[in-house]
Amino acid sequence: MAALSEHAIEEIRALPPRFPHIRSAVLPALDVAQDELGYLTREAMTEVAELLDLDPGYVEGVATFYTLLHLEPIGKHHFYVCTNLSCDLRGAYEICDHIKRRIGVEGFGEVSADGLFSLEEVECLGACEFAPMMRYQRRYHYDLTPEKVDALIEAARQNGGDRAADSPRDAAAASQKPPGRRASSRGPTKEDSAELNA
Amino acid sequence: MSVTVPRGTLLVEAAKLVKVEVPVFCYHHKLDPVGACRLCLVEISPGPPKPTTACTTPAAEGMVVKTDTPLAVGARADILEYELVNHPLDCPVCDKGGECPLQDYTFRHGYPTSRIDAPRLHFKKPIPLSEKIALDRERCVLCYRCTRYYDEITWSQELTTDERGVHSYITSQFDQPLKSVFSGNIIDLCPVGALTSRVWRFESRPWDMDHVPSVCSRCAVGCNVTLWKRRHQLVRVTSHENDEIDEGWICDRGRFEYTHVNSPDRLKVPLVAGAEATWEAALTALLEGVQGRKLGIFLPQDITNEELFLLRRLVDGPWQDARVALERRTLLAPPQGETLPIKDLDGCKAIVVIACDTADDVPIVNLRVKKAVSKLGAKLLVVHPGHLDLDRWPDTFHVRPNPGETAEAVRRLIGHELLQEGPVGILYGDGHGAEDVDALTQAVVDLAEAVGGRVMPLYRATNERGALGVRLAGRQEDLEGCDAVILWGPGRPPASARFVAAWDSVPRPEHEGADVVLPSATFAETQGSYTNLEGRVQFLRPVLPVTPPLREGWDVLCELGQRLGMPDMDYLGIFHVQRQASRAVELFAPLADPPAPVPNPTPVLYGPARP
Ligand code: SF4
Ligand code: SF4
Ligand code: FES
Ligand code: FES
Repeated sequence: MAALSEHAIEEIRALPPRFPHIRSAVLPALDVAQDELGYLTREAMTEVAELLDLDPGYVEGVATFYTLLHLEPIGKHHFYVCTNLSCDLRGAYEICDHIKRRIGVEGFGEVSADGLFSLEEVECLGACEFAPMMRYQRRYHYDLTPEKVDALIEAARQNGGDRAADSPRDAAAASQKPPGRRASSRGPTKEDSAELNA
Repeated sequence: MSVTVPRGTLLVEAAKLVKVEVPVFCYHHKLDPVGACRLCLVEISPGPPKPTTACTTPAAEGMVVKTDTPLAVGARADILEYELVNHPLDCPVCDKGGECPLQDYTFRHGYPTSRIDAPRLHFKKPIPLSEKIALDRERCVLCYRCTRYYDEITWSQELTTDERGVHSYITSQFDQPLKSVFSGNIIDLCPVGALTSRVWRFESRPWDMDHVPSVCSRCAVGCNVTLWKRRHQLVRVTSHENDEIDEGWICDRGRFEYTHVNSPDRLKVPLVAGAEATWEAALTALLEGVQGRKLGIFLPQDITNEELFLLRRLVDGPWQDARVALERRTLLAPPQGETLPIKDLDGCKAIVVIACDTADDVPIVNLRVKKAVSKLGAKLLVVHPGHLDLDRWPDTFHVRPNPGETAEAVRRLIGHELLQEGPVGILYGDGHGAEDVDALTQAVVDLAEAVGGRVMPLYRATNERGALGVRLAGRQEDLEGCDAVILWGPGRPPASARFVAAWDSVPRPEHEGADVVLPSATFAETQGSYTNLEGRVQFLRPVLPVTPPLREGWDVLCELGQRLGMPDMDYLGIFHVQRQASRAVELFAPLADPPAPVPNPTPVLYGPARP
């Protein structure tokens, strides 16, 4: 049985012509697969490889390289909390501990009992000036406080863990400004942060 | 020292010309440079005041390169210190020990102790990558030679790198056993003991083995190999680089199919009716058995040119009307006129592969085709009903005719846009019996004429070309209907056989109950030569002695001839057979000039002589 839906397969098939080399399509293809399944199963990687006429080994190599690609199940809502220097100094681990308590897990990588949440520590996401920060549902969230985190968790619980409801990938791409650095050279501002957190 | 080199020559290669060693791990002369290991650091001027990688920097006019300044040597020593961070220092139990560049370089450059006390990475060891190859990740220096070889040379990615940075490790895809027929080359390529052979595991040390360059006996490509022996045992087979044929690669058949040579079941003594006998008695029984009967002879694919010549004489003389069949032969006829040599695939602008799964039938030719296409820019056209590994190339033009209609499909290629620019190489097989071979060959010849290309018939059996050269083993011949058969190699007696003589190195189920059994010498023991699919005669060099009562095939054939009363069968040695064969058979002319029996020693695999 196919691991991916018709829709995802179609999306992946459409990728190669957009790149000079077929291999460049592996990353976006994995993104499509992960979006659909939450994480990358062997079957999904094999299917992506077949669709792009590569050996699954190549896809596996790419998938294991990137932190943003998951090989184990994660919660429907996943916190990527930066614990690199600036964020650490500004209390990233307290935020982590707070999230763990709230979602009821012991450690990083663990999925909460209801399957809704998980968290992971990541290296610098390039937004040190708003430390502590995290990536959550394809957006950056800045100047984290326990309250902000609680609000996000509450919102997620409210809508029953429908990932698409609070950040569909396509909607995010169409309506959101890209996270991190903006087109202007000054970088994200407090306003962006407020807007993105809204 | 100064040296002038063609534009674009890399510093490592230029240094080789003046016999200066630049240590390397990731650089390999058959792979694209990546600059991954940083071991080749040298100082160049004019240039930046810091060490530069010699494997990625091309030589330039007036460039001065220093390999032995404190800066360069110190940089290399530092790199080695890092390489050794996770190394378990288990050289005493490592099969690479003695031919390991990491050992050599560390001995020459390394600091006596490490200043790094970071926690070491530990891996389970060793991990089987396949039935034949073991991986020890703790020894790996992440030069990526193995994965680059897989990707660049064999067009497959079943060997890959997982994770990134210091956590990277080599793995087979999803930890499944490697399936490629080209997997074994990574053992030769690995500059450390991370990839080792499971067939030659803890068997011996490089320095207590003798080795000779010889020729692979497993197919018609004729790759050059090095045979390694220890205490009268053939313990391993590695590549012996010959750029005209194999470019330093051999397939897994050539590398691993040698264990029967050392088998405890080896036949050593002739048997008559199941009881040990002298050669005298056995040959008498054989001659009596075939006397007056319709004789059929089955030949092993790796029969030598000399044996073929002698057999031709027997079949011209007392054994007239004998039918002769050859193991694994194709249905192809001898080529007419000049054919395309393997090395000339490199210059082809377009390559057509017809009716042959090259990866299976002629593995190393398959790699040469891939090189011509992916590295040298040739166009690739395939005419074959199935899905082949050549389809991995995104621009392969693949025609899939129904079996039996290949000749038609080939004709339709005349005037194809991809064949506008020559030279064109046209490789063709026999479609494993599915095709009318004469029609196919004619279509191929017509295509070649139309596009100004040259053809390469892809024979399968090791010495098929030699057998065709002496007109033995014609296409239609099988042994059905013969009432006496000599089965040399893995042949099956026909139902009609009333007398069976088996002549082989090990007992086989299909030889069960043979009336006479003769022990045969293997490719590791016998003298002689093969003719490869290009028509190139190459000499075997025996690495093991022929210990009586074992006898070589040519010797036994001579005695049979003498007993049958043939004149001039009392050759004084194989050289006399060769001399006569060289005069009698056009294809065997090179036999007049056999190479010296003791060749120059094979260069060591790595280190100074062959980085
Ligand atoms: S296994 Fe050997 S060849 Fe492969 S990356 Fe490691 S050291 Fe290099
Ligand atoms: S391609 Fe043929 S000759 Fe070459 S190593 Fe393989 S079996 Fe031997
Ligand atoms: S340290 Fe956290 S974003 Fe840079
Ligand atoms: S970086 Fe030059 S040999 Fe590896």
